[in-house]
Amino acid sequence: MIDRSVRILAASLLTAAVGWTAAAAQSVEELYAKAQQEGELTWYTSHASAEVMENYGNLFTELYPGVEVKVVRTTAQVAFQRLQQDLQNRQNICDVISTTDLGHYVKLKADGLLAQYTPPNAAQTFDVFKGLDPDGYYHITSSGMVALTYNSDLVSDAEAPTNWTDLLDPKWKGKVSVGHPAYSGYVGTWVVTMRKLYGWDFFEKLERNDPRIGRSINDTVTMLAAKESAVAAGPDATTAMSAERGNPLKINYPTDGALLMIAPSAVMKDAPNPNAARLFVNFLLSKQAGELGRKSYQVSLRPDVEPAPGFKPLSEIKTVRPTLEEIRTGIPEVVEDWRDLFGN
Amino acid sequence: MTQLREASFGAAAPAGWSGWLASRLRRLDWSVLVWLAVLALLFLLVVLPFFEIILQSLRDNEDGGLTFDNYVKAYSRERYLVALWNSVRLGLWSSLLCVIFAVPIAWAVARTDTPAKPFINMTVLAAFVTPPYTGAIAWILLAGPNSGWLNRAWMWLTGAEQGVIDIFTFGGLVFIIAIYSFPFVYIFTLSALEMVSTEMEEAANILGAGTFRTMWRVTLPLALPAILGGVIITFLESIALFGSPAIIAIPGRFNVVTTQLYQFFSYPIQVEVAAAYAMPLLLITMLLVSLQRLVLRRKGFVSLTGKGGDRRMIQLGRWRWATFGYAMFVAALSVFLPYVMLTQAAFAKAWGRGFSLDNLTLFNFEYLLFEHQMARLSVLNSMLFGGAAAFLALVVAVFVAFMVQRRLVPFGGVLSFLCVAPFVVPGIVLAIGFYAAYAPPPLALYGTSWILILAFTTRFLPIAYVQSNSALRQINPEMEDAVRILGGGRLTAVRKVVAPLMKRGLVGTFLLVFIPATRELSAAIFLAGPDTRTMSIMIFDLSSEGNFEHLAALALLLQVLTIPMIWFGYKVVGRDFMLRRS
Repeated sequence: MIDRSVRILAASLLTAAVGWTAAAAQSVEELYAKAQQEGELTWYTSHASAEVMENYGNLFTELYPGVEVKVVRTTAQVAFQRLQQDLQNRQNICDVISTTDLGHYVKLKADGLLAQYTPPNAAQTFDVFKGLDPDGYYHITSSGMVALTYNSDLVSDAEAPTNWTDLLDPKWKGKVSVGHPAYSGYVGTWVVTMRKLYGWDFFEKLERNDPRIGRSINDTVTMLAAKESAVAAGPDATTAMSAERGNPLKINYPTDGALLMIAPSAVMKDAPNPNAARLFVNFLLSKQAGELGRKSYQVSLRPDVEPAPGFKPLSEIKTVRPTLEEIRTGIPEVVEDWRDLFGN
Repeated sequence: MTQLREASFGAAAPAGWSGWLASRLRRLDWSVLVWLAVLALLFLLVVLPFFEIILQSLRDNEDGGLTFDNYVKAYSRERYLVALWNSVRLGLWSSLLCVIFAVPIAWAVARTDTPAKPFINMTVLAAFVTPPYTGAIAWILLAGPNSGWLNRAWMWLTGAEQGVIDIFTFGGLVFIIAIYSFPFVYIFTLSALEMVSTEMEEAANILGAGTFRTMWRVTLPLALPAILGGVIITFLESIALFGSPAIIAIPGRFNVVTTQLYQFFSYPIQVEVAAAYAMPLLLITMLLVSLQRLVLRRKGFVSLTGKGGDRRMIQLGRWRWATFGYAMFVAALSVFLPYVMLTQAAFAKAWGRGFSLDNLTLFNFEYLLFEHQMARLSVLNSMLFGGAAAFLALVVAVFVAFMVQRRLVPFGGVLSFLCVAPFVVPGIVLAIGFYAAYAPPPLALYGTSWILILAFTTRFLPIAYVQSNSALRQINPEMEDAVRILGGGRLTAVRKVVAPLMKRGLVGTFLLVFIPATRELSAAIFLAGPDTRTMSIMIFDLSSEGNFEHLAALALLLQVLTIPMIWFGYKVVGRDFMLRRS
């Protein structure tokens, strides 16, 4: 009796499990079939460098032949501006939006512009990356860090900055590189974080060091590699990629906490290619995309994707992160203050 | 046309109303319809976007009513006013620098026996067709304060800790703008100096003035109106530029009008405030253009009598190497050094590693042309939009010039005014006007190729009009009258006589619009959607990450594509191509 009921239970569990996976698998296949009809999708993104983003687009088309990705890589605020321009003129061009300013998603969701869609792969990520939006309108598909970066030809490991306030040391006058909060979502979030930790005073002191200000945070990598600057508040992923190519760049995770960036993606409500868009967001959370992310030194989102070579797992790094609300209200404020202070 | 006529003939078979209509149609002068069509097109291209800017600046975004709030918003912050003042300073300093670069070279080429003049002209032309943003990228590689090659050379030579030139400054921007705008002053000055007859100079010589005193007291004052004309053009060019300020001024930590206008377009998009903020730019331009007209019209020097008379070149002796050297110095700054750097970076794995064989790669081109889908598309877009705009501008310009010159229509002056009016609208302001007029429904042209083609057409219509006008002037109307007398229609005359005679001039005009249209950035900036990005927009997007290897490769690609066009222009138009004022 017992034996039988156990067997029945096991069998029904098994059927349920198989059935569940089959349902999930089928829905992805269905999506793909419909996506093939659509043939393409347009992706506004600022998650990583232009080169890495193109690689994601190409990998997607490799996995799902017949669906091309038009990658439109700009900085977060420029991507959002162009999206707003599209919307104002009632043009639905963008299928998937992936910026790095969390405030954008709160706004887009409130305006009813996002599609409610939870990709099956969202269940496969680490718990910390799950459920950023309880209603499932947007999902974290990328994560990276802002850390202290430096050119090791110019700066020895011993003199390299170890915490954020070291950047304010007058010895780095004319040698610090940063991005611009009015363009880059990474930089905007970083400025909000620094203001939270040290007050606006941090930037008044930074201003005295006459920093080199680019637009994208990835500009700091170019500046360090070219020896235009010696130290920077830079992205760990792009910096590590540049180091892999032979540039003498190193990363210090600051003792007062590296900024952990989480960057969502969302399907637009009126996406012209709704199926391809959903398939793509699910792809961004897949193991294959994770492996590509690993090669591009992104923070791993899934337990089955190892951290990038030479990178510590997330749990061993001290990180800081402002709340969603602090980012949403903070970025527009710091952009104004920044412009008044730095004049650009 | 004949088909149309036959069609109306066929319809004439049944008697009555339709027969009457057919006979009317047969007798109708088709040029009236063409005139109406052209007028309608000009209205769409010029009048509507222009009024839309003014309307927007006065529109209340909430209730659509009339308001001055936008003006209050646009001028209420110190930062915004500083940007205005910066633009004025930028214009003044760069046009002054343009004079310093251009006038000595123009004098040397027009009036002296300086060697290798065709080569000097070629270097000026090369500077002329280099987009300012390309030049800015090259000069970052040359004069980045710590990493630029000139600064590295300085540090290596002197053992200094730091470089001497910082391109990310106000002065740096002035320099970059001047080094690519001086050809305007050059062209104006050259044309004027070539017209000054030698007798005046000889008179001065006989009365005891030396070469330089003559130049200073006689020749240059005679060319002064033309120089001033060129200065005004470069002033307007400098305050209207967007690309090089965006690349230089953000790291340089200052704002100018155009970068501030761009900020008004960031979220939340404030087209109305941008329109209000653009007004001074528009007003200054209108004012200076009318001033320029006045200056050039009032020259009234009898000495400017055309190329007639004996024109002897001043023998400079050993000094001719000094003038040649100066021309080469300017060419080094504007062409030689920048292109060496661009080429190095475009073929380098990492440009900072310098000139070595193991640093060579074709990867950047491969990446742009094969891996980066949008970059490839942007190359096609630039060529397509430039070509379409040049064609459209040419058609409109030729029709208007023909109708006005042959006095076929009433109010010809209005048409001709509309054709040259866009000259006073800076590219970025034009973009705002087109955005406001055509981006939203009902036309909803935003994101389509059409909005860019139309904006480029408007932007370069003045060039097309002035050129076609002068080409047409060379054709005697009697030849057309002969066609008419022999029973041919107006259109036959145009097709069989005017068009063949104008062919050369038309090709030249087409290229004169096509070349700048392929590199236009400021008029495209708010109008391009993801699929309609041009190379210039692509360069602007790529530049945010500072990827100089890719940037240089794309910028170089644009220049290489221009070379056959210029070569063709030379073949068709002759050595004056692009360096002639008309």
